[in-house]
Amino acid sequence: MPYRTSRWSWLTAGLGLLFSVPVVAIVVLAFSAQHGVWTHLASTVLPGYLVNTLLLALGVGAGTFVIGVGSGWLIAMQEFPGRRVLEWALLLPMAFPGYVLAIVYVEVFEYAGPVQSLLRDVFGWRSPRDYWFPDIASVGGAVFLLSLALYPYVYLLARNAFIQQASVLLEASRMLGRPPQKAFWEVALPQARPAIIVGISLALMETLADFGTVQLLAVPTFTTGIYHTWFGTNNAPGAAQLALALLGGVALLFVLERWSRRQQRFHTRSSSTKFPSRHRCSGVQGGLALLAGSLPLLLGFVLPALFLLGWTLQSWERLPLDRFVDDASHSLLLAAVTAGLAVVLGLALGYGMRLCRQRLVRGLIRIVSLGYAIPGPVVALGLLIPLAQFDQRLNPWLERLFGLEVAYLLSGTLFILIAAYLTRFLALAFGTAESGLAHITPGMDEASRALGKSTVRTLYSVHIPLLRGSLLIALLLVFVDVMKELPATLMLRPFNFNTLATRAYGYASDEMLEPAALWCLAIVAVGLAPVILLNRQLRQAHAVQETPSHRLMPVPDLPGAAPAPEASHA
Amino acid sequence: MLECHRLSKQYGNVLAVRDMSLTLDGQDFLSVLGPSGCGKSTLLRLVAGLEHPDSGEVRQSGTTLSGNGKFVPPEKRHFGMVFQDFALFPHMTVAENIAYGIRGLKSDRQKRVMELLDLVSLPYLSDQMPHQISGGEQQRVALARALAPRPQLILMDEPFSNLDHQLRVQLRHEIHSILKHEGVPTILVTHDQSEAITFSDQMVLMNRGTLVQAGTPQEVYQQPRSLWAATFVGEANQLPVRWSQDGLHSSLGIVTVPPEVGEPAATLLVRPEDLRLQAADSSGTRGVVRQVEFRGASQSAEIQLESGEVVYVTAPPQTACVPDEAVSVHLDRFLCYGAAGQLLSDSKASDR
Repeated sequence: MPYRTSRWSWLTAGLGLLFSVPVVAIVVLAFSAQHGVWTHLASTVLPGYLVNTLLLALGVGAGTFVIGVGSGWLIAMQEFPGRRVLEWALLLPMAFPGYVLAIVYVEVFEYAGPVQSLLRDVFGWRSPRDYWFPDIASVGGAVFLLSLALYPYVYLLARNAFIQQASVLLEASRMLGRPPQKAFWEVALPQARPAIIVGISLALMETLADFGTVQLLAVPTFTTGIYHTWFGTNNAPGAAQLALALLGGVALLFVLERWSRRQQRFHTRSSSTKFPSRHRCSGVQGGLALLAGSLPLLLGFVLPALFLLGWTLQSWERLPLDRFVDDASHSLLLAAVTAGLAVVLGLALGYGMRLCRQRLVRGLIRIVSLGYAIPGPVVALGLLIPLAQFDQRLNPWLERLFGLEVAYLLSGTLFILIAAYLTRFLALAFGTAESGLAHITPGMDEASRALGKSTVRTLYSVHIPLLRGSLLIALLLVFVDVMKELPATLMLRPFNFNTLATRAYGYASDEMLEPAALWCLAIVAVGLAPVILLNRQLRQAHAVQETPSHRLMPVPDLPGAAPAPEASHA
Repeated sequence: MLECHRLSKQYGNVLAVRDMSLTLDGQDFLSVLGPSGCGKSTLLRLVAGLEHPDSGEVRQSGTTLSGNGKFVPPEKRHFGMVFQDFALFPHMTVAENIAYGIRGLKSDRQKRVMELLDLVSLPYLSDQMPHQISGGEQQRVALARALAPRPQLILMDEPFSNLDHQLRVQLRHEIHSILKHEGVPTILVTHDQSEAITFSDQMVLMNRGTLVQAGTPQEVYQQPRSLWAATFVGEANQLPVRWSQDGLHSSLGIVTVPPEVGEPAATLLVRPEDLRLQAADSSGTRGVVRQVEFRGASQSAEIQLESGEVVYVTAPPQTACVPDEAVSVHLDRFLCYGAAGQLLSDSKASDR
């Protein structure tokens, strides 16, 4: 649209700029550090963080690849009993944030836990010296849990890639003399490579951002390092330097992800053939496929959910339910307010993007979509430092003008929590709004403008009614991610203020498992909502491929051509 | 020699192919023509081995490929296939795509790739990726890839339907001569009658999963065995008829036919080129020109006959044909069909 850059666009560009504050603060803080901070870190904790984080990234990369591509291949290319149920059920582990899995599995695998007790009973072992059992509180344990929690990204993208590139290429390969297995390795897998890389980089971004899992498993990484350097040794510049290094890693993954997405455009083509192409498994093969396909589902969802349910029922009478109601209402309040704000701001930003072709303005608005890649502890550090300084300047003024004695107006209240959530999750609302807007032809804007309506009036009377579905989805996605968010909440919450996530984490840190179970269960229950939504959209997307329709839901973009509806397994 | 014997294939409740038989001799080109959804693609896939037949047999030079409890998988049949959307591997270069099916030493494979690129006149494209080249080029690369392993048969599934009209005609011609040059027998599946007529030596007309007519394009065009075949292949005027002692009455006048043809006849079928226009005189049937569509090499006129019925006539471009003027229409050739649409006979009209 050849409009001049409107006030609207400038306004939203300013808003985008505002969201760069945390990163700018981190950079400034890191370079303001006195000499020696970095060398001190480098000689003490840094090598450990680096090794652990690298091992974790490699392990989770391999783990999500094997589970995600394997199950994607089973679902897309094989026909076996239970396939249709597994197709959607394999997404369920997305509802479990990594830290909740950690809470469950630490208990399950510990010395007094059910697994080791059972083994001792069966084999007659008496003491830990009688046998060897892998320690879940290790890098390997963290890899295991994060792979279970994050493989759905890879599964989803790999499965879709296998289904879309479709049978015709495999058939071409067979007509040129290749047996089916060879055709898969030579044609299907290379085809799906960009999609798989996108999935793995999303999973790895979550891994780098993860705080709760590694903290509960006592595996020191960059995120926990930031936390300890900041709160433990009160060394904010040191923490900022760690944060900067972490951001470097995230940026690398971010670039990889964007690049692979561009490759994807050439690779995937949706030539839907009406001829069924799944290989029919024989009886034994079918049984093995069912077993392999249900394993990640059992370990990543069914068993942990059953354990949580069991523990909750066992301890039901002793549970501090009034506390649960308090925490749940805190979580709900924060999630609702943030989600509402995110949808309004996301729509405003998306519309600003639509109205403007100027690169600078678009770039500034685009900053918002980087937020989802920034780990929670980094956001917390990058917001708390500048806001606390701002408050220190503001306080004398407030005292003089209003006679108020407020300690920390911005940095000590829920304001900073909501700001942190928006920094991370506004990208979701923005991405959803943007892809929704992309489905509305520019002709509609022009028609409305030609009929004498202003830009704002057009947004109000044309776009918002058409976008209702997209906006509801954005609301839901942000809501759920806020409910699950742990590290930023933990670091920024006002004194004695708890949410479901922080309390569950707190109980687990104090080894009070039974009460933690109910809190965890609530988080998982909320987390199920987007999984169900995702499934519904995928089903529609399949239908859309066959009969093109003009839905305004951001269907083909899942999980995010714009920022993904990523669950924060922080 | 390829033989299909009484092939049937069902998807769910849909009988896609029913009792289809066909034979392909030597180096012939066979086209399978039918409306979309008639089962012609399924037939091709049965031949390729991409589908298992429910019953019937596919045989090649005496050996059974499908049927009788035997099934040779597609990779062992040594057939080449050109797909509707070409199905080039997007992650391989043009040369890698062509080399994919060739066996043997690397140097031999390279030589064969260059040979084929020359054959399809695209030697300069060898290092391009499929998404970098045009639709017509993709088409020719797809053909080169199918030809590369020296297949015993080429199967083409609507290979021209993704191209625009002009390119389609040109490529059809090119590919026809390439395949003739290579001497590979070919089966082409298409819904485009002009494609089927110009491309093939033999034609199989299919509808609703069954065979309607097989023969040379000339036979199918000139002697369509049913009204459906007559209207699906080429244009045709259909006129109702009435039989009486002096002959077969229609709005084009009276024609004499033997009573065994005339008595059961219900429809007179006339190709537009089998009608002739003359300046209005007492001969032939009188009519008025309604519309003329000039086509360059010919013109198509819409004539309203005295009876009120409308016929279409293809006339040479020099014939005077002016809208709203009276003309005489002469019948040169016609076919008679019974009430069930079956062909009764054809006769030259004894012009009255």
